[in-house]
Amino acid sequence: MKPKSILTAEAIRSGYGGDDIVNGVGFEVGAGEVFAIIGPNGSGKSTLIKTLAGIVPIRRGALSLFGGDVTALKAPQRIAAGMAYVPQEFNVFRNMTIAENLTLSTEFLGLRGQGARRERERVLEMFPDVAERQHLLAGNLSGGQRQMLAFACALISSPEVLLLDEPSAGLSPKLVTEIFDKMKAVNEMGTTVIVVEQNVAAILPYSDRAMVLVNGAVRHLSAASELAAEGDLHALFLGES
Amino acid sequence: MFGQLIVNGIGTGLIVALPALALTLTFGILRFPNFAIGAMLTFSAYMAWTFNVLVGVPLIVSALLTILLFPLVAILCDAAVFRPLRDRGSITLLVASMGLSFVLENICRLFFGNAARNFDIPLARPHRLFDLRFTNEFLIAAAVSLSAMLIVYLILRWSALGRAMRAVADNPNLAAARGIDSGRVIKATWALSGALIAASGVLVGMDRAIDPQLGWNYIIVCFAAAILGGLGSPVGAVVGALMLGLIGELSTLVVPTNYRVGVAFAMIGVVLLLKPNGLFGTREIVK
Repeated sequence: MKPKSILTAEAIRSGYGGDDIVNGVGFEVGAGEVFAIIGPNGSGKSTLIKTLAGIVPIRRGALSLFGGDVTALKAPQRIAAGMAYVPQEFNVFRNMTIAENLTLSTEFLGLRGQGARRERERVLEMFPDVAERQHLLAGNLSGGQRQMLAFACALISSPEVLLLDEPSAGLSPKLVTEIFDKMKAVNEMGTTVIVVEQNVAAILPYSDRAMVLVNGAVRHLSAASELAAEGDLHALFLGES
Repeated sequence: MFGQLIVNGIGTGLIVALPALALTLTFGILRFPNFAIGAMLTFSAYMAWTFNVLVGVPLIVSALLTILLFPLVAILCDAAVFRPLRDRGSITLLVASMGLSFVLENICRLFFGNAARNFDIPLARPHRLFDLRFTNEFLIAAAVSLSAMLIVYLILRWSALGRAMRAVADNPNLAAARGIDSGRVIKATWALSGALIAASGVLVGMDRAIDPQLGWNYIIVCFAAAILGGLGSPVGAVVGALMLGLIGELSTLVVPTNYRVGVAFAMIGVVLLLKPNGLFGTREIVK
């Protein structure tokens, strides 16, 4: 049975300057799903997830979360509505310590003192590597540790929908597995995950459904297992199907 | 002689440090060099003069009123001039700040004319310590500048607002993704810069006569100090201002006084050749 829809995108158009990069994309994401967005370089995946996060404004179309219209909301308001976004790179404030990065997120929730500490400790239980080095500058962390910290910061607000932009980018295969395991663990705690990923073979086993984006439009949308079974993803990516 | 030059250099540096700090704060957040900083300084000096001479309240009260009220002027300038052009790029904002500069200067000219004005403060003999002369103006400038710098440091380093300001300066998109309201941060930045400009307007007005072109004397040194320290770096702005003041004064030991600004700028040239992003600047990463 298809889970109840939590996020609905209707014919979304967005982009930079005068050009639309995302050209009328529509889809629904069910509560508790891991929804993968895949596609070749330049297909508009990152622009789409930035649009969902409120970083890039929606020019046409509509976006709803829990049935409420969030189309016109900016990023901070979408976080308040239940979303969180982890960018692909530059996803932590490098000139701040790990503790300061986390504090920024607790401050958004209006938490101070004990309340903030409790929230930080709750999230850091999942990321022991990061928890042990809170006085370190985030810029001195490895790529994997930075990704973990970015995850931790996003989870402080206990989001209903977590948006991840290529979490495996630039990481070793071992770290990719570790990152996706964390993502799945977060998902199993009830958070819906929408993940943009270039590493198709790695993400599909973790996903419930997957959408192929080509030239800013939906080329294919199905269960991830069906897509994995298709075999000829190359043809789908190149628009030959 | 040498000691007195050091004292004078520190005095000049401390006065320039405040507008340089204001310039670097707005640059860090809004990514454009605010050319109107000189005219804003002039405007705030006239505000303080109005309270002090026309209304007749003591200078310290006038200064406090100006420091409280001028941030509103700065926020208003942003709302009227810079906010509508926010997405147009730094060159457009720089040109707009030049326009604002002329508008503010001519508002001062319209209401106060071109005549030089002075605060109502009594003349006082300088204090002497170890053969060094310390004027009242120097002591007040040192106390005000150091207090202002300490307050800015504490805000940036330890407060939620300061963290948010640093976050927006570092990476505006990530800051938005973490829920930071950049509009609120920008207002706070203008308020803080406005307070610094107001304080420097009062200090400059104590040091020399106030006229509509007062700020022009400080624009170049203010930009030079911020660039020398590394635009966007608050610590750099203060260090840059102090270095400019000290180099300028000490150069008079070997070259005629008229050339001291030239020597200071030659030194800046050398520093920037070795460190193109300034002493405390970081290389810009295009995201």
